[in-house]
Amino acid sequence: MTQSLTAILLDFIGALRDEGVRVSVAESLDAMRAVAVVGLSRGRVQEGLRAALVKHRDHDQIFDDLFSSYFGAALEAQQPDSRGRRDGLVGIGGGSGSGEALPTARSAVRRPAAPTGATEAIPERPGDKRLKGATSREGESLAAEQGFAAATATRPGARSDYADTAGEDRSPRARRRSGVHGRETIETTPFARYTQLEYEQAREILAVLQRRLRQRLGRRSRRARRGRLDFRRTLHAAVQHGGVMVERRFRSRRPRHVDLLMLADISGSVHYASTLTLELIAGARECFRRVSAFAYIDRLALAEFEQGHLVLTPQLDFYARSDFGQVCAELLGTYAHLLTRGTVLLIIGDGRNNRKAPRVDLFGELSRRCYRTLWLNPEETERWNTGDSVIGIYGRIASVITASDLRLLEAGLERIF
Amino acid sequence: MEITQELVSEGLRRSHYVTNQRVATAIYLALALDKPLLIEGPAGAGKTEIAKVVAAMLGTELVRLQCYEGLDEARALYEWNYQKQLLRLQADQHQGLRWEEISEHVFSRDYLLERPLLRAILAPHRVVLLIDEIDKADEEFEAFLLEALSDFQVSVPELGTLKAASSPAVILTSNRARELSEALRRRCLHLYIDYPGIEQERQIIALKVPELPERMAAAIARLVNAVRKLDLKKAPSIAEALDWARALLRLGVRELDAPGVRATLGLLVKHEADRTRVEDKLLSLIGRP
Repeated sequence: MTQSLTAILLDFIGALRDEGVRVSVAESLDAMRAVAVVGLSRGRVQEGLRAALVKHRDHDQIFDDLFSSYFGAALEAQQPDSRGRRDGLVGIGGGSGSGEALPTARSAVRRPAAPTGATEAIPERPGDKRLKGATSREGESLAAEQGFAAATATRPGARSDYADTAGEDRSPRARRRSGVHGRETIETTPFARYTQLEYEQAREILAVLQRRLRQRLGRRSRRARRGRLDFRRTLHAAVQHGGVMVERRFRSRRPRHVDLLMLADISGSVHYASTLTLELIAGARECFRRVSAFAYIDRLALAEFEQGHLVLTPQLDFYARSDFGQVCAELLGTYAHLLTRGTVLLIIGDGRNNRKAPRVDLFGELSRRCYRTLWLNPEETERWNTGDSVIGIYGRIASVITASDLRLLEAGLERIF
Repeated sequence: MEITQELVSEGLRRSHYVTNQRVATAIYLALALDKPLLIEGPAGAGKTEIAKVVAAMLGTELVRLQCYEGLDEARALYEWNYQKQLLRLQADQHQGLRWEEISEHVFSRDYLLERPLLRAILAPHRVVLLIDEIDKADEEFEAFLLEALSDFQVSVPELGTLKAASSPAVILTSNRARELSEALRRRCLHLYIDYPGIEQERQIIALKVPELPERMAAAIARLVNAVRKLDLKKAPSIAEALDWARALLRLGVRELDAPGVRATLGLLVKHEADRTRVEDKLLSLIGRP
């Protein structure tokens, strides 16, 4: 492979990385090898690079955009409906792909390795302005004519041009970018920084999280199923084979049945985290023998999800101040029958009791009746025990786990088993 | 055999696998660069079929490892045949063999149960190894697979290291039931297959059910495509569309009309909720130009 083509590819990979596509060194080597073996036909180079570099479907659009800004837009792109149909039918082999040789790459190869100095003159070249326009959608056909030569000529400048245009029509690109990172970013955004927007983004990926949680919880109980070697039964089975232990028998371990009793503080400070947890658990119901979900502020209310909406019975006063002590009393008074040796008590809240009595005695009583007590705190650890937070006091009884973003929350929920 | 792009295109054509350049290039690269190919896409878009086509193309055997939750090394790689070993020990009992001799006997290849991965590695010629639905396997297994895929050698403590004579062509498929690790993605070439477009599906139907009138094939392709766009629990796969086409042919339906479609809808959608949904929209689906 010629020097300049390597440089162009490296630069292209750099641009991909700038757009948030993670490309490892090994993958860029793969890309080089791919280009070396597919030959210089535009379609094949594009698909070859895609196979080697793009490992997530969400990155496809970024790749296509960058590819056309680096290597000139595809000829098919001039047809009005080509956008949606790009991966439509292309004759394999002797089809359009191989026919239209990469004019651009060819010219790049012919040219002596473009010294970086040469590019200084380039901004004055007429082609450059056209290229600038080319990054916008109408200009794509222009870019096709212009081809790769201009694109490569402006190589070091190309990215800044690109950045300029990005500044002009920031919105779609920015939106797409947030879509690309969306999932990972939202999983690690602290609940404290949530607005309605983040909350909705989180709800969009909730189905994925629910499925993952179900799988993980399910796996946990399944894994426990095969127990230690059962010597007595193995010996017994060996009688059939004249005393040779051909078959090994194992103790079966009963999957533990868990009744989940969940208390979620849905007052303003931790509202998003709590509703998300309630919904998450509602989607993983079948992993438990019984799930009783309650929301609380200053009183208890049964929490259910109906078509994605949280329904509370009775309705809670959202302007009230949370009072966990009062809630403990209510739980012990009205729902004591739910607290059994098989119950895992799960609390989601920040332990900010508005300087009301924490009633640790009642909480201790609750905890004693249950198999385990787990407290997930959506607040960042540094803020615990500051102001009116009494999480430290409750922490003497329950194991308190930081769950300040979705990922930590998920990890915390796994500890139910 | 020298792999060329023409060979791949020709192989795909010969196996009646209608597809686009993206797929052909990805397969070619996987074979030419000797890298595993990870194929993602919705269920029934033809992922597994690719592996079969590649095996047919190379004129070799397809070794399939179906993944499921709880799949472990013993099921994927190898296991000692415990029963057979015991029998051997019993048979040897009175011959007064020394320990070294016995262990040499019982820990030889004869007593090794080869599971798909090992079978692919030990095959005398290049085979196609299909690791199907890798997303169903546990993360631990995925990590183990990474190691096996990187150098195609397995060390069995009693036997030493077994190395592949020729590395198999590896194809992994995933339905995205869970996100695969970045490490695995990095090591594989990646291909995403979606359902075919109307024109492509028409070609598939015409190729696989040649007796069907041209016009019907187009109508079926159009309707199936529209049905997939409805928000269904399970979108109809290509195989189901083909089944449906065959059923319509057998029933002698010459025109796609509401009663005919309604009677055979069970071949296309497999959930009651989906069925009512499609039936509600049926007239507008058929009426489409």
